[in-house]
Amino acid sequence: MSRSLFLGLLIYSLLAAGLIAVNGGMFTLMIPMLVYLLAGFLFSTDEIRLEAARRLSAERISPHAETVVTVTIINRGASLEEVLIEDVLPDDLQVASNHCRHLIRLPRDSSYTFSYSVTGPRGGYGFEKVRATVKDRLGVTSREVRLEARGQLFIFPPVTRLRHVTIHPRRTKVYAGTIPARAGGAGTDFFGVREYQPGDAPRSINWRASAHSEDALYSNEFQQERVSDVGIVLDGRIRTNEFAKGHSLFEHSVQAAAALADALLLQGNRVGLLVYAAFLRWTYPGYGRVQRERILYSLAHAKPGGSEVFSGLEHLPTRLFPPESQIILVSPLHEDDWMPLVQLRAQGYQVLVVSPDPVRFELSYLQKTGNVALAARVLHLERKLLLQKVQRAGIQVLDWDVSIPFDLAVKRKLSRPPAWMRAVGR
Amino acid sequence: MVLSIIVGSVSLAYGYFEAGLDAPARWVVSMGMIWLLAHWRKLYWFSSFAFFLMLFTAAYGVWMELPTAWMLLGALGGLLGWDLSDFARRLQYAAPTDDIQGLERRHLARAGIVALLGGGLAYLSLVIQVRRLAFEAAVGLILLAAWGVTRLVMRLRKY
Repeated sequence: MSRSLFLGLLIYSLLAAGLIAVNGGMFTLMIPMLVYLLAGFLFSTDEIRLEAARRLSAERISPHAETVVTVTIINRGASLEEVLIEDVLPDDLQVASNHCRHLIRLPRDSSYTFSYSVTGPRGGYGFEKVRATVKDRLGVTSREVRLEARGQLFIFPPVTRLRHVTIHPRRTKVYAGTIPARAGGAGTDFFGVREYQPGDAPRSINWRASAHSEDALYSNEFQQERVSDVGIVLDGRIRTNEFAKGHSLFEHSVQAAAALADALLLQGNRVGLLVYAAFLRWTYPGYGRVQRERILYSLAHAKPGGSEVFSGLEHLPTRLFPPESQIILVSPLHEDDWMPLVQLRAQGYQVLVVSPDPVRFELSYLQKTGNVALAARVLHLERKLLLQKVQRAGIQVLDWDVSIPFDLAVKRKLSRPPAWMRAVGR
Repeated sequence: MVLSIIVGSVSLAYGYFEAGLDAPARWVVSMGMIWLLAHWRKLYWFSSFAFFLMLFTAAYGVWMELPTAWMLLGALGGLLGWDLSDFARRLQYAAPTDDIQGLERRHLARAGIVALLGGGLAYLSLVIQVRRLAFEAAVGLILLAAWGVTRLVMRLRKY
């Protein structure tokens, strides 16, 4: 109940009591409240003309970093004696320092600026309104206005820089890149020897091979390196990512997807992203920094989810990926997932599975008891069998223990071997 | 705020006590103490209830023909207590960097002026008595006054 209504009811009650009891004393009791109510109404403001502006020190930050939000309120109308300014924060964002709520006096044509820092988990957040509650000098009347002050904050997943990610798609594009194209031409790695053709550089002549022939010269051929189409599939299914006590592997998967997308785009590839969760979120393939932003934007919004349709990987829309391109699946993997993966491989895709290890992850926060150790051993064996089945289908697997930094895991399994090692064929 | 609650409840209690009604006087004092306790525990909703009870007690006292001055003082104390309790609740929303002292000072000044004006007018109504005035005429005057004040407020608010 508003204060004015409460006071009005009391005044009318006293008035009625005075009239019924024919007692002037009741009217006497009524007078201070009447004066109070009238004073409140008299000094209340009809014309509220407030404007708000918002500025963010950074619109793109990493999780749990802070950004400073500065809000300025300008009063273009009458003087306001008591205004409660409250910036409406999006869900999940938290105030890290200072305050987003202020009780102030705002004279005519004056402004008030306040700043505070916010922090939060990965996601995309939209600031929309600032709430202003204006009260009269005695707080009898109250009016709430919402001032538009838009702003956007993206908390991108942390991007781990990977030096090199080695992939071997069956088909490459025409542009020069870093992926071996299985075709001879200009490059750095030895590919083969062919007969000398006019235009070949003299230093490419393989004198040793030419010495075996009396009437022909032979030239060394190098493997062409080109760019490729890469589709990253981020598995966001609850059944594979979420564990007991609210633990989730999804953030690790997102981190891996971000790092891979960043590295592959830096290598010049055309990269697309599919988030496979409660619904499909597809980021159309593209090149360069703009595409990196698009993918990070999509990853910022990615959330784990479950649905009947996408509970298994069999509904993975392969038509989104060009034939014989590289598909990178980032998934902890479920035991039912190997058959769809084998089918992908059978369709001609080169598949790489980056799999955060759910067994070690779960074990890291469970109590070390005999039963837990036994269960972990059984699960570990099951997972090992699953990964073996996948690998036998010609699918490259990176089994990632999430306690190890992702760049280290990639360096061990997916980085390009040094030139001397390649030269000796190891 | 504490002072206004104490003054209000003590005035009411004294009024009742003077008339020999000891039990209601003790109840009024207890109610004042509970109000203070509730404020200390930050149960701000209680202030509206306590104010209503104090006003009811004052009105009952007037009807019982107890000294109106004490009853008026009790009602005035209740009104101030209710106002300041709500103001304390609103101040909770302020950030530590806000000008809380300035807000407090201005509000206390305004509430004080309004209480003085209200109390003064009410006291005048006790002192000034028109001997021969028909009840119907009094009611008519009250309605006329209400209409006049409404018009006055509406006109003043334009400026």
